[in-house]
Amino acid sequence: MTNLAHTAHSLASPISASPLPLRAGIGLKAQHYQEIIDTAPNIGWLEVHSENYMCAGGPTQTWLSAMRERYPISLHGVGLSLGSAGPLDQTHLKRLVDLEHRVEPGHVSEHLSWSIADGVYLNDLIALPYTEEALEVFSTHVLEMQDALKRRVLIENPSSYLRYEHSVIPEPEFLLGVVDKSDCGVLLDVNNVFVSAMNHGFDAIAYLDQIPADLIGEIHLGGHSQVEFDDRVLRVDDHGSRVCDDVWALYERVIARCGPKPTLIEWDSNIPELSVLLDEAAKADGILNAYTEVSHAVAV
Amino acid sequence: MPSLSKLQTAVRDVSLGGDASALVADIIGDGFAPQQRLNIHRNNTTILLGEALAATYSVTHKLVGDDFFEAVARLFVRAQPPRSPCLFEYGEGFGDFLATLPAAADLPYLPDVARLEWMWNAAFHAADVTPLTSSDLAFVDADAYGDLIFSPHPSLRLISSAYPIKEIWDVNQDGADPNATVNLDEGPQALAVLRPKASVEMIELSPGGFVLAQSLMNGATLEDAFAAAQHNAPNFDPAPTLAVLISVGAFQSHTLRP
Repeated sequence: MTNLAHTAHSLASPISASPLPLRAGIGLKAQHYQEIIDTAPNIGWLEVHSENYMCAGGPTQTWLSAMRERYPISLHGVGLSLGSAGPLDQTHLKRLVDLEHRVEPGHVSEHLSWSIADGVYLNDLIALPYTEEALEVFSTHVLEMQDALKRRVLIENPSSYLRYEHSVIPEPEFLLGVVDKSDCGVLLDVNNVFVSAMNHGFDAIAYLDQIPADLIGEIHLGGHSQVEFDDRVLRVDDHGSRVCDDVWALYERVIARCGPKPTLIEWDSNIPELSVLLDEAAKADGILNAYTEVSHAVAV
Repeated sequence: MPSLSKLQTAVRDVSLGGDASALVADIIGDGFAPQQRLNIHRNNTTILLGEALAATYSVTHKLVGDDFFEAVARLFVRAQPPRSPCLFEYGEGFGDFLATLPAAADLPYLPDVARLEWMWNAAFHAADVTPLTSSDLAFVDADAYGDLIFSPHPSLRLISSAYPIKEIWDVNQDGADPNATVNLDEGPQALAVLRPKASVEMIELSPGGFVLAQSLMNGATLEDAFAAAQHNAPNFDPAPTLAVLISVGAFQSHTLRP
């Protein structure tokens, strides 16, 4: 397994020209619909959770259409549960295909995790055991998802709170193994790498450096919280605060190595004023711009 | 080494409140008890699904307060966890569930308020269909009116309660007068809930009007629906209620009994 990263890099075709602008985007929240329409903020793109827009009709769809007329959209799924043993929920996959046809998104993404067991949806993104069995299950589901959508999807590295005794493959190698088997791209969540690195004591920089630049289609940044147990702390990825300084530093390192990538500011709990999200997006844009200018300078 | 399937079933059971002992050997503790790590996931499932229920059932939440709602939501999530990842369609049975709880018996109107909130939620997310209008019926021969069969608008729901649930719903909306009260002796109330265009509407129905609407929604001919309504409410004049139902957009199309 140790040379998986190498084979993934050499076999997978690189992501073609990014269908989202190489700028910061923000997660779209219902609280901000009206203000975004009224004030037309200068943001590169918007990301939505696919599952929130799979209704048959109604105002949420009308809002999404209005947003799509104004901004590129990325569809970020939280419910397909690609890591579940057993077949994918075909009804859900069909709803995703229908939504994708309506929205014509720049990206479609899902998570390297599982959420469904025996038909029950746990509304949670739970770590997989990194085994050959799980790699086969996950990659087969990614292929099925891509076949249904007739497009390449991005798979996001998880934040995790537990590891299994029988996990034998390091997470970045597992992720690159999925890429190798399914030819998907990577959605690199820098905050998730940091959270997992702190929770499990691995080196976040080594993990990030292992993901080849040309596989990364999109980057996520979000805030996390800390839960204390006795004298120890677990970091919990609740997307409920600003991006922390450590994660900004890791992000800048990724952009310096890989060049600009569409970058999302995620905020899903304790949702603040729109201006706070725009402020975080401007900070990401500042870093992206710095490295865009560098690459231009080199090109000239 | 557990299969992926067995492992996921075991984690699911713990996330829904079950015992973690079967999983302890499979989880790396690394300074924590495995149960502490699993608790993060149990909390995610319990708290986030509870918040999804609170979003759909905001009036019910307001009526019972944070602590009671959280406790009931936890029971509900564990008894009836979602079968779909689309949370706007999670929680249909919450009103019926409340009706089974002795702890909620002091608020006898609570299950119907919750059922009304579910109908509002279902109407909000229903398919967008242009409703039938009276002009669509202009070419129906007057002799054939009794043979009319209406197809209900996809957003249409009906509810009949022993309590004034629309008033309870109204005074618990954001921006309502905080000093407003509802007299529970106002008695029973029947409603049609629907979303013909962008906004969900609630139309109050008389007892006869409710039977009329229910019969039509179930596919009865107009003749049979009128008869059922008048059987139930002898002095009921069905024609004005039918006109209201059509004008608010309760139907999407019509056919004639073959």
